[in-house]
Amino acid sequence: MKRAFLGELEEVVLLTVAALQVSAYCALITQTIDQQMARSISFPTVHTTLQRLEEKSLVSSQMGGATAERGGRQKRLFTVTTAGQRALIECRQMRSQLWQQIPTPVLQLWGA
Amino acid sequence: MGRLSGRNDRHPGPPKWAEWLLNRFSPTGMEDELQGDLLEMYAYWVKIGGISKAQWWYCLAVLRLIRPFTYSQPEGHRTDRTGGPVRTTSNLSPTMIRNYVLIAWRTLTHNKAFSAINILGLALGMGCSLLIWLWVQDERSIDSFHANRDRLYSVYERVFSEGKVQAGHWTPGLLAQELKRTVPEVKYACSYRQHAATFQVGDKIVDIEGASAGEDFFTMFSFPLLQGTARAALNDPTKIAISRKMATIFFGSPQAAMGKIVRYNNRRDLMISTVFENPPVTSSLQFDFLSNWKAHTQDVDWLQTWINRSPATFIDLQDNADPVKVEAKLKDFLKAYLHEGDGGGFHVELGLQRFDQMYLHSTFKDGQPDGGRIGYVRIFSFVALFLLLIACINFMNLATARSAKRAKEVGIRKTIGALRFWLGVQFVGEAMLVTFLALLVALVAVALLLPSFNELTRKQINLPLLQPLFWVGIASLLVITGLVAGSYPALFLSALQPIKVLKGTLRFSPQAQLFRRGLVVFQFVLSMLMIIGTIIVSQQIHYVQTKNLGYDRENLIYFQVVGDLGTKYEAFKQQLASMPGIQAISRVTSAPSQMGAHAYDIDWAGKNPNTREVFIHNTVGHGFLAMMKLQLLQGRDFSPLFPTDSNAFIINESALKQIGYKEPLGKPLTALGRHGTIIGVVKDFHIRSLHEPIEPLVLLFHEELDWGKFLVKTKPGQTRQALASLEKVFKQMEPQFPFTYYFVDEQYQKLYQSEQVINQLTTIFALLTIFISCLGLLGLASFTAEQRTKEIGVRKVLGASVASVVTLLASDFLKLVALAIVVASPLGWYVMNRWLSDFAYRIEISGWVFLLAGLLAMGVALLTISFQSIKAALLDPVKSLRSE
Repeated sequence: MKRAFLGELEEVVLLTVAALQVSAYCALITQTIDQQMARSISFPTVHTTLQRLEEKSLVSSQMGGATAERGGRQKRLFTVTTAGQRALIECRQMRSQLWQQIPTPVLQLWGA
Repeated sequence: MGRLSGRNDRHPGPPKWAEWLLNRFSPTGMEDELQGDLLEMYAYWVKIGGISKAQWWYCLAVLRLIRPFTYSQPEGHRTDRTGGPVRTTSNLSPTMIRNYVLIAWRTLTHNKAFSAINILGLALGMGCSLLIWLWVQDERSIDSFHANRDRLYSVYERVFSEGKVQAGHWTPGLLAQELKRTVPEVKYACSYRQHAATFQVGDKIVDIEGASAGEDFFTMFSFPLLQGTARAALNDPTKIAISRKMATIFFGSPQAAMGKIVRYNNRRDLMISTVFENPPVTSSLQFDFLSNWKAHTQDVDWLQTWINRSPATFIDLQDNADPVKVEAKLKDFLKAYLHEGDGGGFHVELGLQRFDQMYLHSTFKDGQPDGGRIGYVRIFSFVALFLLLIACINFMNLATARSAKRAKEVGIRKTIGALRFWLGVQFVGEAMLVTFLALLVALVAVALLLPSFNELTRKQINLPLLQPLFWVGIASLLVITGLVAGSYPALFLSALQPIKVLKGTLRFSPQAQLFRRGLVVFQFVLSMLMIIGTIIVSQQIHYVQTKNLGYDRENLIYFQVVGDLGTKYEAFKQQLASMPGIQAISRVTSAPSQMGAHAYDIDWAGKNPNTREVFIHNTVGHGFLAMMKLQLLQGRDFSPLFPTDSNAFIINESALKQIGYKEPLGKPLTALGRHGTIIGVVKDFHIRSLHEPIEPLVLLFHEELDWGKFLVKTKPGQTRQALASLEKVFKQMEPQFPFTYYFVDEQYQKLYQSEQVINQLTTIFALLTIFISCLGLLGLASFTAEQRTKEIGVRKVLGASVASVVTLLASDFLKLVALAIVVASPLGWYVMNRWLSDFAYRIEISGWVFLLAGLLAMGVALLTISFQSIKAALLDPVKSLRSE
């Protein structure tokens, strides 16, 4: 089977799941992306992306955490699986590899 | 992070319908979480964007989340060989539908000639069917607008004499009143008799066609009234009801006409009590005035007897009356009213026919309503079906023929996993697409052609664009045509086995070829039938129009006796005799070709007293026989030299045969109350249309009748002068009446009006049928030529000539056409014989008709295929074989 490849959107969602840890569910993920990344990704898009991630076994989910504010309905809570962790790490490694290849003087020039 | 306040009572929640949608159509297993999440999101959206934006976003999100826009992941996933989940694309997913449409479009545009043939053929077929359907609907709608049409009946009579039975809607003028008085089931009843009258207001004098009717008329029938009331319209002999048209002619408007006085037949003044809307074209009763029945029977006094009959009698039954029982009750109604002494063997029964069926079922067979226009309605419905079928067959044929090209596609689709059912749906869908395009073309064509069609059929048909029924009809036409046209490709192509298709060339099974040939044969059988029909119908029409009727109908003019003209006949004659253009003058009570008045009291020496004979009678003036060029077999014409001629009779051959005198001259005869002798016998001539056999005729003589018609023979080529002379003398003697005249030959042609329309229609439809068939043939021929390109190349390399190749290609098809001719000829003979049996005088169908039709079909077919065949035969073999 082909290697699981992370799309940019998938990466963002997966990272958010990881960041939110135990309380990652669709609505909160959407709002977090909205607020923290100043990016408006619609709720259905996030929902579909999460499903796709689960299909690729990068996240797993379980039900729980019903609260009154959501009409007593359960949440689907997502956690990053081992495969998901590996994919995220791989992603970061690849990026840092490329970052490291940029000469320091150039980076200084950029003001980074 | 700032927790969300959740659903708060301070502001309204998300739209109810969206919540319901989400609740109902959430992807399986996700109902709970989605609803919860969206509630939270809603609260968040309210915070950042306000309520209206939040509601909008909520709805958008719901619409994107619900099925079928998200695919649901069922619990038990399908897995592929490696165990991973398989994403299946439904056959009806948007992607697939887009693909179907794309492929259909590509197929259409890939071969424009084929598509054009397909669409044109189908459009022709559908356009014709549509026109015919409109015509049939129009025919069926005649008289259906009356509110109580299911209770309106017309009374008809069955007259039995000598074992023969004749029936018709002529009844005694007293019947209506008597029925209403004595039969409780009859709620309303009225007599109705059509006639013309001359009206005068001031200086304006106009002849108008109308009728006299009993006072219940407007209560029974739903003719809308503009002024006045239904009850009061016809109950006063001094009043009259007129149409909007007549009111406009005389007074400018219906309102202005009310209460005004018109002079009727220069005999009495009538007050206008009612103005009705012009009878709609869908009414079989057409009249511009209705006069009081009692006043009419005073003018025409024989309407007050039981023995004479002519008017129609319409009745309106009580709501709870059973028409069958009423009919049984009325059967012998007249027995009590007809004199017993008039002899047995003459027996009259009454029957009932629904009024709204009179128009289509106008003829009688064995005393029961039988055929009539309904025959044409049926024939043309069949023709419509045929044309559509032929066009569908074209489509099927071309589609199967081209299936070789589609076979690979089918193979690939099947390999990837398409189901047979969905392939069928795809092909039917493609057929629908083509049908839809054809339908558009057909609709436009029909809209453009409708005016000329109306002119041809003398109707006022409009495209009923606002009627839902019309669109239902169009939709079902689309679906049925699409289904029929797409059925064979759908069944045939979807059954192909991918392994065979993809391995090599597609071979048509013998059955498929047989089927295709069968379709071609079927098409040409239909075309042949239409050609045969056209030839025979036009032959018969030509026959009736040119047949020697036994009298000379050229240069004959007649006009109605009006005012006192009848008694001033002698003066009129003398004054006219010296005028230019006039050759001879005589008078008759009924015009030639329309003699239909029956005399019931015929008697002669030695007649069987138990039988009753009915003769046609006509009262004529001097010079009638000579003017008509009737041939005297025995005896002499009426003559001024014999004052006794007022009691003399001239009979025709048929009458002589009926009477049976060996030496008829001088023998006694009684007719119309006159006891006299026979002074002459004329050779049989046609007294009515050729539909009817020549009946026994007795001619009486009377010069001073105050009614009837004057008959004038003009000098050849001087019609114009003669008309001028006539008008001058007429105006001089009867200035109160307009001069309205008729040509005898024109009136004769009018007897066959419906046949002439039929003739034109069959010609057009025959042309179309053969055209559509040839379109199909053209497509098939070009396909065959294309398929056999290599074979032709090889043949040419080996020395075949162009002629031999053309023969090879053409003979295949010509064999089919020949077969069609063999099948169609006996069928055509049978059908046309049935049609001709409606005429008492008819042509015999001769063999050359079939020969001609066959040659025609063959010739057209040959022309169609030879173009393609020659093109194929001329192809350079180097090119066609290069790839080998």
